[in-house]
Amino acid sequence: MANEQEHLERIKQTIIDGDNQASVDAVKEALAAGVDPLPILNEGLMVGADIVGKKFESGEYFLPQLMLAGRALKAAMSVVEPVLKEKYVGDEAVERDTGIVVIATVQTDIHDIGKNIVASMLTASGFEVHDLGVDVPIKDIIARARDVKANIIGCSALLTTSMPFMRDLINLLEAMGEREHFKVMVGGASVTPEFAERIGADGTAPNAIQAVKLAKRLIREQREAQGAG
Amino acid sequence: MLLSYHDIMDRALSGPYLNEEEWDLQKIAMTTARLVEKYKLTWDPGVIVPDDPGLVDAVFEAGLELAKEVGVYSRSTERIVEFEPGELEEGMRLMPQTLVMGEGKDARTLYARKIMDDRLPLVWAGSPGTPFPEELFLPSVLSWAQEPIVDMVTCGTLMHVDGREIRTADPIEIIATRRELQYMRQALRRVGRPGMGMLAAQSSVSELGDLAVAHPDYLRPCDSHLVPMLNELKLDHRNIARAVNSIEYGMRNASLPCVIVGGLGGDAPGSAVVNVASFIVSSLAFLADYHLCHPIHVRHIATSTRSVMWVESVVEQAFARNAPCIIVSDIYPKSGALTRELLYETAANAIAITVSGGHLEGCGSADGNLPNATGLEARLMGEVGHAVARQGMTLQEANALILKLLEKYEHVFDLPEGNPGVRFDQAYDMKTLRPIPEWRQMYEEVKAELKEMGLEALG
Repeated sequence: MANEQEHLERIKQTIIDGDNQASVDAVKEALAAGVDPLPILNEGLMVGADIVGKKFESGEYFLPQLMLAGRALKAAMSVVEPVLKEKYVGDEAVERDTGIVVIATVQTDIHDIGKNIVASMLTASGFEVHDLGVDVPIKDIIARARDVKANIIGCSALLTTSMPFMRDLINLLEAMGEREHFKVMVGGASVTPEFAERIGADGTAPNAIQAVKLAKRLIREQREAQGAG
Repeated sequence: MLLSYHDIMDRALSGPYLNEEEWDLQKIAMTTARLVEKYKLTWDPGVIVPDDPGLVDAVFEAGLELAKEVGVYSRSTERIVEFEPGELEEGMRLMPQTLVMGEGKDARTLYARKIMDDRLPLVWAGSPGTPFPEELFLPSVLSWAQEPIVDMVTCGTLMHVDGREIRTADPIEIIATRRELQYMRQALRRVGRPGMGMLAAQSSVSELGDLAVAHPDYLRPCDSHLVPMLNELKLDHRNIARAVNSIEYGMRNASLPCVIVGGLGGDAPGSAVVNVASFIVSSLAFLADYHLCHPIHVRHIATSTRSVMWVESVVEQAFARNAPCIIVSDIYPKSGALTRELLYETAANAIAITVSGGHLEGCGSADGNLPNATGLEARLMGEVGHAVARQGMTLQEANALILKLLEKYEHVFDLPEGNPGVRFDQAYDMKTLRPIPEWRQMYEEVKAELKEMGLEALG
């Protein structure tokens, strides 16, 4: 019979392998064997996700592996998260620096590879990601963010001529009086920190790894602000 | 009989439904991975230009098999456009072998090049898709068009028109694209080459611009425009609209699949397979007259990376051996104007393309992201391509030379901010439209180095 460490090792490996079904099975078996959901999350799933991210960044993994790992993590999270919430309800120790992200390539732009990589990396890092796809009207992005009570809205655009719609989104949030409800991340090949600042976004990142770090920082800031409030 | 766009539209409306994520993962990523294994496709980062007919034939076979097996995905209808047995082969058989671009004394004939072809590659100068401020647009086009070695021109995209921001699918795209073509035609007249062929309508991301300039005062039937294929093996109604408009008008269609190397196809071999499949499908789905080869590195963007140059070389060789057609390959270096690395990258890329069977287009300097491109690197691109053809460079010689050049520029991929160089107006004298002395000297020094390294035919 496997001990806790072996269960966690197996869970980690299923994420590295991007095996959807195996990750669900491994988590279920670990829970059935009495392994605490917190180490399943932090020492199994998250460690696996971190390794996948590093392999992608180093060029050992490519986009398909990243997407498969994201899928496997999402499937496994659907099993472990309810248990985690039930066991640690109200426990601040398990409050993590992840949250809900609504991400989309903004209207008029149909480039999705960069957005997909960021969405996969966020998923693989434990965020609940709602990927709305490409060419998404800004009002639809905001509507979904409200529906799912998102912490972060992520806007992507490769085309310089689609970047103005990012500014429109922020302006619309302000006009609706909802700007403070969401952190807004913007990204894309031509998006610079200066552009992000100019349009009033909360940040941008040059690659997917940095995007995850930024998202975590924004979540922490948001929670601190809410705590202070 | 070749398919018409009516057939493509009908199939896009009636083909099997599939969720896009499933298309990406199951149809593209998994099928490609299986074909890479089946055909035992590998690459060695120490071999940029392979001299291995068995390998390039296998890449071609795998690409054809991918195209036959999956077809192409319509993002507009979420359905698969499938092809009947024999249709793809027929499409390849009918791909033009020659294509006259431009008119009058300035006309040039594109042709299907061979591997190690001793005929000169055509030189298509410009920085396609790069955002340019309006005040730099005309000078930049002049800097390319005035170079005697240049055969055809292309251009960047206007960022603003009369100070107004350009937005995709906004009516201003009509104004922007017409303004772009006014500048282009003006540039050609000013350098005394009014009939020079163009690849343009770059300032409109939506189909609006293409529709607005399909007129002899703007883009002529002897010019061409882009019909992009979406990543990977996807089309949509808006891009079909570009192709349809062009066909009705009588203008040339250039297919542009920008395969992501390290994307859904995986590493370089899988990406080459996807690129081959994309060209094969484009011949039918976009009724393409010629193909633009422009793989993009998943992290570095640049075409001067090892894996992207390998893909360009293998794809060109694969078609030259198995289904000759006209391929024009883009050069998008990491570095920008007034850097030595830009010249090394341009030279390496031009060598790989020319010896493998492509024509030359570029340079989209500084990743095509900044207006940091000039006519001087386009001149070098052409000179290097001509020298490779003239001296009858072999694949192995080309590979050895590229490896030496990589030593001189590969460090730029580790620079966090890239190596963007300077804007056009800081590298060129804006009154004379000549490179500033420092830029000119850098070019002369690099040329001398290239000759020393074995490119003896460089003038």
